[in-house]
This record gives sequence, structure tokens and C-alpha cells, in this order.
Amino acid sequence: MSVTKTSQQANLEGTDVNVTLTTQTGVSKKDAKPSDPQPKMQLTPEEQEIYDGKKGDLLQKALKSVIQYGEWFGADKLVDLNGPVHMAMSWGSAAIEPFLEIYDKFAESGMKTYRPFTSDPKPMDHENLDPGEEKRKAVAETYPNQERLEKLYLKLGLVDSDSWSCASYLPEAGNAPSKGDNIAWTESSAINFVNSILGARTNRNSMGIDMMCNILGKAPYFGLMTDEGRKGKWIIDVKTTKRPVGMLLGSAIGLKVLEDVPYVVGLDKFLEDLNEEQKISYLKDMGAATASNGAVGLYHVEGITPEAKDQGRDLLVDNYQTYVIDDAELDRIYNSYPDLWPDHNKGPERLFVGCPHLTVEQLRFASEKIESGLNQAGISKPALPVYLFAGKKVRDAFVERYPKEAKYLEEVDVNITHNCPMMYLQTPKQSEELIVTNSNKCRVYSTARFFFDDSLMKVLTTGKLAPEYLKEQSKDD
Amino acid sequence: MTKTFKGRPLLPGNAEESAEVSRVGFSPSASYVDIVFSGSKSGVIKDHENKDLYNRDIKGKILCLPQSIGSSAGACMMMAAAKADATPKVMLFANHVDSISACGLIMADNWLGKRIIAVDMLGDEFLDAVNTGDKIKVSEDGTVEIDN
Repeated sequence: MSVTKTSQQANLEGTDVNVTLTTQTGVSKKDAKPSDPQPKMQLTPEEQEIYDGKKGDLLQKALKSVIQYGEWFGADKLVDLNGPVHMAMSWGSAAIEPFLEIYDKFAESGMKTYRPFTSDPKPMDHENLDPGEEKRKAVAETYPNQERLEKLYLKLGLVDSDSWSCASYLPEAGNAPSKGDNIAWTESSAINFVNSILGARTNRNSMGIDMMCNILGKAPYFGLMTDEGRKGKWIIDVKTTKRPVGMLLGSAIGLKVLEDVPYVVGLDKFLEDLNEEQKISYLKDMGAATASNGAVGLYHVEGITPEAKDQGRDLLVDNYQTYVIDDAELDRIYNSYPDLWPDHNKGPERLFVGCPHLTVEQLRFASEKIESGLNQAGISKPALPVYLFAGKKVRDAFVERYPKEAKYLEEVDVNITHNCPMMYLQTPKQSEELIVTNSNKCRVYSTARFFFDDSLMKVLTTGKLAPEYLKEQSKDD
Repeated sequence: MTKTFKGRPLLPGNAEESAEVSRVGFSPSASYVDIVFSGSKSGVIKDHENKDLYNRDIKGKILCLPQSIGSSAGACMMMAAAKADATPKVMLFANHVDSISACGLIMADNWLGKRIIAVDMLGDEFLDAVNTGDKIKVSEDGTVEIDN
């Protein structure tokens, strides 16, 4: 997906994974040298048969591609995959045509992924997020291969037509790996979650390579799949006076460590008063920010994440670095976020919450927060269109568990959509909309403006930015 | 004067051509939008954020870059450019190759039969030494000679 950015944002080297130089695999190779020994993959007899073409041309090409990819990043063997499958390519733009042609060949040969898979969310959900007639046309023009992709995915092993969410690892979505599972995923926020919170093992793979791995049921063994690659290279020492906003904390961490593995200390005490679902929701959002402001594929939190619980500070490499995050540092990060709206003072057009997709608990919390905000303001409905983004299965679970809250959201015209907010904002014409959000990931990949929950609630009840966010237009605007 | 550098040959090959240099990350997803969305077969780079390459035709040239950047769909864009025969002949990376370019290079080579010769880990000194228009000779062992 092409990312539309202004020169202002593109010039912010180091504030955005899209302009930061990393291998994007979740493993830094900045100290690598051409004279380092280059691995040669050792194959099992079964793999050798595939490599020699005895199982057909398609599998041979797939295996050769996976081997080559692995060897370039230091793998000397393949491992069998044994966990759930998730794909990131979820949009049918013309750009994916070459991949579709390859995937067609797999489907025509009756091949499927080694287990049924879920996918990232689609770029459109007009039933719940209707951009209007003109923009719907732009969506259709931008994604001419959408229907073809969806049909092809069902042939290749997509679980069902409701399995499109970046948070398919949530219990209600039914595609969570277990601790120690070897998997080959590509969606950066999902990788970050399943590696860190669930203890699964995947590198940050690339589209195309992920399908090859999951057709074969094998992935190259390097980086975050290895014990060594999962060690912490940084201690992140949280010394704030209160629980930091997860998205902002993750943003600070990602900007500092880029694609190294951070080991976070001092955060567990701030999470003690959260229940398990709230804790998971917090860490999901914090992690997604480390993966979008940096290219973090795995983090550890002392006393909380599974490997940190098991191994403690033995998880750290000997020569780890330290980054202290206090209130002033978080203020510095927040104040560095650019305002990319062409008219800084115009009212926002929509309010987005949920990038990555929300948990059931976050939907409940949003309902509670909106009800309280509207009551305090003495109004019956939000002053601008509000969208909560969640997978269909999570939304259904929310409706079942919290029928009163779900009904309330419906009554006040707050929409729950399974659209991908990021892709909504990267689609021509839609990308021009002025969006406010509390998602750092959404901010990084679009022109959306980021606000903390309380400020966002003021926007929700007034339809306007608070005076402190207004400013004079500069001559350069 | 000839300056010589040695990198890791990812997709080995021999070539001699003039250099196109990007001193910032090269974004395939932003560079090849016309190929994907307008059916163009041109190698003219359309990423207006890349001041070094914007509106330059790098088809058949030797692209010198630090690493690629941008959306993970960049690999799809590289495949589309390879299919249109619009890619550079060679990509020379100063840093370790990244997963976007790796995937695009491997998939184009294996699935389309379109080889883009690639060498990585040439070092920052390589990018400091090379300028657009310099004559470059690439050998299959990863040796790169710049004539400027």
C-alpha cells in the first residue's frame, strides 16, 4: 500500500518506520560485514526432495525462495511451523497482481496453507463506514483485485469470510498461537503481540515470503525464532510518575531501539490495578506503537510477559544499553508529533479509535467513556461521526457479553467497523479527510492527528479542536 | 580514479553501467506507482520525497542505495516493475539488505526469471564515494569498481 505523506513527515527521519533505515525483520544487522561467514542451509531429506523438484515445480520455487530469504538473513536451517497462520496482504490493489498470479497457481494445484488462516482487515467496510458515493468510486478504482483476492484466499485456506482483522490473535477471533509455536507472520502489530505476550516465535516477514512459508509449513530459522535473537538489547527504565499512555510509551521505545528487542522495567507496578483483559489491551497498543515508530518485533516486560517471567534479566545480552523514560521524555516525544493537516484549525471530519483493532474490553471501555462524556456535556449524540474499529468476531462477542453497552453505541450512532483504519486513510480521496485518533499507529501511517483520550472526548462532544490545539497558519502552509 | 569496494553478492552477476545514487532510503512502493496504477513500463521514479531520484529514469542503470524503506507492499511493486522490465539492472546496498528489497529481488528472480544483480553491505564509504553518472563495474564475486 502506497503511503501518502507530506514532505514534512517524510523529513522526520527516525520518527517513522517508513523512512527509517532498518532491515524490517525485527533483527538489526547494522554490525554485519560481508566477510562474516555466510550460512548454507542444511536441508532434511524431505526438504531436499522438494528442493530437487520431486514434489513439483511450484513447491520447488517456493522452497528456493524461502531458503534464499533465510540465508540472506543468517539462517542455516528451516523449522517446521506448528501454530496458527495469519496473512497481511488484505487489499486488492493493482500492485498485488504479480503475487496473485503466483497464488492462482497454488490454488489451481489444490495447494493450501498448512493450517487455515486469518487475514489483516480489508480496506473497505461500506456498510459500517460509508465514505460517500464519490469516495466509494475511488475505493473501487484503487482496489480492482479485492474480490479476486477474497475468492483466492478462501481457496488457499482462509478460515471464513469473517476472518479479516489485524487482531486475529484475540481469544474471540480464534487464531492465537501458544507459547513456543513456530509461525511465519507479516503483520507488524500482530507479530509484536504474539511474540511478546503469547511467547510465539516469528520474524517480521515479508508479503509473498509468508505465503511461501505457510504453503510449505516451514520457515527459515533466524532472528526472533532463536533464543539468542530474543534476548533484550536494551533496558527501558520507566520512571514516570503515573501509568504512561501505552501508545506514547511504545512510540518512545520504538524511536529509540528501532528494531532491537527492548526489556521494559518499572512498568509492571503501573499495570497491577488492571485486570487481565485491560492489561492485554494496554500491551497490545503499546507494542503496536513500538512496531510502527520503530520496527520492534518482540519486547519483554519485567514480571509480565512470559519469557521475562521465566528468565528475568537473564534475557538481557551482556552489553545492553539503557534508555530512561520519564514524564519529560514522554512530553518531548508527544510534542515532536507533526501536525500534517493543511488547515490546522479546521474541524475534524471523523474520529477513529482502534488501530490495531480493539479488544472486547476496549469496546466496553469506549462505550462507558462515550456515555459519560455525552452525559457530562449534556448532549445526546457525538458532534462528529465516531468509528470503533474491531474484527467482526470481536464485535459479535462484545454484543453478546455487553448487550446494554452495544445497544447504547447504536443509539448514539457510534459505528463499529471492521475496516482497516490505516488503509482507509491511505486510499485516494479518503486520505484527504481530517481525522482525529488516539492511535499512534494510525498517526504514523496517515495525516491523522493524535490526541489523548480526554482531549479526544472534548472533540467528540464539540466537533472542534480545543483552543490549545489551534494555531496561526504559517506562511509555508 | 578507480575506487574498489567489496560487498556480499546476493544475486551475483557481472555488469557495467552508469550509477544512479539515492542517499536516502529507496521506497519501491512510492517509486513505481505509475507502473502499478497507470500501466506504465517506464523506469522513471515517481517518489517525490526522494530528491535524488525523482523523475530520473533508472531502468537498466546501477542503483546505489543505503537500503529500501516504505510499505511492505514494496516487494509487490518491485515485482510489478520487474514484470514491466523497468527495474535497474543492479542494486548496490550500502547496508545489509532489508526484507522489502529481499522479497522483491528473490520473488522476481525465482518466479519471473528476472534477475536484478544485487550486492549488499558495501558500507557507508561506498555511498560517500559514488555519484550519479559514475561508471560502475560489478563482478559476480561482489566487487564493485567506481570510475570517477
